[in-house]
Amino acid sequence: MNRGRRRFLQTGAGFASLLSAGCGRSQWLEALRLPAAPKLGPFTVPDGEKIDDVAHALNRCSFGPGPLEYSQVRTRSQEPREAAELWIEEQIEAQQDDRYADIQWRRRFEIVQQDPVGQFFEFRPEHILDDLLGSTLLRAIASRRQLNEVMVHFWTDHFNIDSSKGDCRWLVGWDHREVVRKHALGRFRDLVRGSALSPAMLWYLDGRVNQAGDPNEKPNENYARELLELHTLGVHGGYSQRDVMEVARALSGWIVRERGQAWRRLGEPEFRPERHDDGAKEVLAQVLPAGGGKQDLERVLDIVCEHPSTARYIAWKLCRWFIADEPPAEATESVAAAFSRSGGDIRETLRAVFQCTAFWDQRGNKFKRPFHFVVSAVRGLGVTGNPAPSLVDHLRRMGHVPFQYPTPDGYPAEAAPWMESLLWRWRFAYALANGEVKGAEFDLERLTEYAGGREKLTASLLGRRAGAGEAAVLGELDFKVEAVLASPAFQWF
Amino acid sequence: MVLSEKRMMQDALVNGPLGVYLSGEESGERTLVVVFLRGGADALSLVAPVFEDAYYRARPRLGIKSEAAIALDERFSIPRRMAPLERLFRDGELTVLHAVGSEEDSRSHFEAQDFMEHGGLEAGGWLGRFLRYREGRSGGPLSAVAFGTRAPECLRGAPGTTVIESLAEFAVPEGMQSLLEGLGKLYGLDPVVLGPRGEQTLRALRSLATLAENRDAPPKNGVVYGDDAFSRSLAQAARLIRSGLGVEAITVDLHGWDSHLTQETLIEPLMEHLASGLAAFRRDLGERMATTSVVVMSEFGRRLRENSAFGTDHGRAGCMFVLGGGTPGGGKVIAEWPGLEDDQLEAPGDLRVTTNYRDVLWSVLGRHGKCDPERVFPGHALRPAAV
Repeated sequence: MNRGRRRFLQTGAGFASLLSAGCGRSQWLEALRLPAAPKLGPFTVPDGEKIDDVAHALNRCSFGPGPLEYSQVRTRSQEPREAAELWIEEQIEAQQDDRYADIQWRRRFEIVQQDPVGQFFEFRPEHILDDLLGSTLLRAIASRRQLNEVMVHFWTDHFNIDSSKGDCRWLVGWDHREVVRKHALGRFRDLVRGSALSPAMLWYLDGRVNQAGDPNEKPNENYARELLELHTLGVHGGYSQRDVMEVARALSGWIVRERGQAWRRLGEPEFRPERHDDGAKEVLAQVLPAGGGKQDLERVLDIVCEHPSTARYIAWKLCRWFIADEPPAEATESVAAAFSRSGGDIRETLRAVFQCTAFWDQRGNKFKRPFHFVVSAVRGLGVTGNPAPSLVDHLRRMGHVPFQYPTPDGYPAEAAPWMESLLWRWRFAYALANGEVKGAEFDLERLTEYAGGREKLTASLLGRRAGAGEAAVLGELDFKVEAVLASPAFQWF
Repeated sequence: MVLSEKRMMQDALVNGPLGVYLSGEESGERTLVVVFLRGGADALSLVAPVFEDAYYRARPRLGIKSEAAIALDERFSIPRRMAPLERLFRDGELTVLHAVGSEEDSRSHFEAQDFMEHGGLEAGGWLGRFLRYREGRSGGPLSAVAFGTRAPECLRGAPGTTVIESLAEFAVPEGMQSLLEGLGKLYGLDPVVLGPRGEQTLRALRSLATLAENRDAPPKNGVVYGDDAFSRSLAQAARLIRSGLGVEAITVDLHGWDSHLTQETLIEPLMEHLASGLAAFRRDLGERMATTSVVVMSEFGRRLRENSAFGTDHGRAGCMFVLGGGTPGGGKVIAEWPGLEDDQLEAPGDLRVTTNYRDVLWSVLGRHGKCDPERVFPGHALRPAAV
C-alpha cells in the first residue's frame, strides 16, 4: 500500500486515527533514506591559509563539499583555478541523472511525484509537506547536481509560495516540481510562465480570483504587482501603478479548478473568457490590442521578461547570492548583459556570474542561512541514513523551514536577519557530532582517519587550514568536530 | 569582507534589540500567551447565558443551572468548576467575550482552526506574521515557544519557533560545557561581527541551562499548580517569561473539547484545568503579569440544542477570555448578544457570531507592539474590541 496516505482511507473516524498513527513519520523515515554514500577512502583536504579556488567554488556552487569532493575536483587539473572552473562548467551543464539507482531513489518521494496535479488532493496536506521537505533536504544533501540544487533553493525564494495558504497545501508540491525544479537552470521566461500558470501561485497571490469580465469588476492586483515588483522588474524597475493595473487586467480570467466545484482536471488552471477583460491594454508603454484573450498572458510575459530592468534585477539578485550581500556594480552589469544577450538563459547568465572577478575575489564573506548551514554540516561529515525529519525540527528553531515563509518576497538572502540563530546552530553542531540528530549516520573515526587527523578534517570543513588563533582554541578542544561546526568560520561560505 | 561592511553590521548589532533582550534585566519585554481550546469548546457552558429561557428549553439536561454557578453579571455565569476565575474577574484582570468567532462556517475542526489561526485564507499565521513584521521586532532565538509536539498554525511564518514539551529539553549536556568555553574564545577572535553575538548566545545558553535545572523548583508566591498537562505547561511558561530570554509569544493547547456525547464528563475536568491553571499562572507571575497577556480561544462554539447523547454538536460563535493587567474591559462580559430564540440563531440552530475574533486579538496585540494591521489580518476591516 502506498503508505496509507490516501484520504479516502481516512474517512472512518476510529480507523482513521489508527491508520494515521501507524503510517506516520516512521514509515516516512524509512522511505526517505539517503542513498548509500560513495565508498570512503583517504582524501586530500585544502591546506592553504585562505580558502583556495577549489574550496571556494565548492562553497558557492554547492551546499558545501562532502569529504571526497575537494580531492575529486582537484584531480581535474594541476591548476586549482582551472580545476574549479572545469567543475563549475560541469555543474552548469549537468543533466538529470538517469541511472537506474537514481530513478529508484527519486521514486521514494512518492507523494511529490503525483501527476496530474489533481492527484495531490488524495493526500493529507501534512504528508505532502513532509514529503516535500524530506525530498528537498535529501536532494540538497545527496544530489550530484549541486549547482542545480542551489538554484532550486534560489528560485524557491524568488517565486516564494507559503504552503499554508488555502489550497497551496495540496498544490505546492506540484509547483516545486513542475515550475521551480524543472526550469531551475532553464530559461527565465519558462520559469515565469510556469509560475504564472501554477495552480499554487494562482492561489497564493489570488490570481484565481482576478476577474474583470464586466466593467464594474475591479481586477485583483495581487499577482500583477508581485510579478513586476518581485519576480521580474524589481521594485525600482520603473513601472507605475497604472502598469500594475493593466497587467492585472491582462491576466484576468485564469482560475484553478477547485475542490467541490470540479471533479475532472481538479487543481488545474483554466482560462475563462467570460472573466477576462478583453479590452485594449497598455503595459510598460507597449500596447496589447483588444481581443487578445488568453494570449494577453504571453504578451505580458514577453514584455516583462525582455525588459532591461528585469535583466538588472535578476543579475543583482544572483550576484548578491553568489558574490556578496552588496555586490559590486560592475558584476551586476556584466551579468545583466549576459542575461539580455542570451534571452534570459539561466545557464548563460550563471556563466557570467562565475566569470566576474568579484566572484573569485570575495571569499568566505557570505553568511550561511540555516538551511545551508545544516546541509553543509551534514554533507561535510558524509552523513547517510534518514536525517530529514530531525533536520526539519532543527530548522524550525532557526526559522528556516522551506515552503513556510508567509510573504511573497521569500526568506531573506542577506546575513543580518539570520544572526539570531547562533544558539540553535551551536545546539545542532553538538547534537550532530554526538549522534543526537536522529537518523544521521556517519563514522567519525574513519572519516578522521581518512582525512589524516582532526586538524585535516577541520580544513576539509572550513576549506582552509585553521588560522593561528583559531588553531590554538580548537586545539584546546581537541579539534572536536562540534567545535568546528559551531565555530564562526563554519558560519560563512 | 570589506571593513566598512563589517562596521555597518556592527552598528546594526549594537543598536539592535538583541543586546537588550538577552540582558535579562529591565528588558521591558512583553509576552503574549495564546491558549487554544482544541475541539470546539462549548461556550454556552463555559459562560452560561442564565438569563435566557431559551437556553434552558434547549438544554434541559446540560444547561448550567444558575444556582450552581457564579454570576459574572446579570446575564452570564460561569460554572462552579471554574470558580478560580472569579477572583480574576472581580479584580478587573479578566475580560470575558461572548458570541465571538470567525466568518468561516464549515463547522469542520480542521477548516475552522486553520482559518482562525491563519487569520483567513492567508499565508502564515496571525501571530507569526505579527512577530515577523511588528516594529522593532527582536526575533531572538526564543521569541516564540510552542508547548507541545508541533508548532500551531498561528505561529507559521514566525522568525523562528521553538517547540518543546518540557523545559528539560533546554538542558545543556555536560559535554557541551567545555565546548561553550571554547566557543566563547573562538567568537572572541571576531570582535566585530560575530563576537558580540557569540557572547549573547553564551549568556542565553547559560540561562536556559539554569531554567532547565530549576524546572521543578516550586513556583513563586506559594502557588501550587495542578498536576494536569495544561497546568504543567503554564507553570513552565511562567518560568520562561521570568527568565528574561526574550520570549514574546507562547502557545499552549488544551485538547479534548469535542463533546458530542456525555459532554459533562468530558469537559468538566477541562474547565477545572483551564480555570485553576490560569489562576495559578496569574499568581505565579505576580508583577510580571503587567507585561503579560493571555488569550483563550477555540475554533467554534457548539449547537444550542443538546443532542440525544447528552452532548452538543459543532456550532458557530464561541467565547474568549483575555487575562492581563491594565485591560479596560477587565471585569466585564463583553457581548453583543444575538439572542437564543429560533429566529435569532444561525441555521441549524447556532449562536450567531457578532464579534469577529480578529478584533479581540488586535486589541490585545496593541499591548505587544505596533504593526500594520494589513500584515496581521489582511483584508479585515478592524473594529477593535474594548478589551
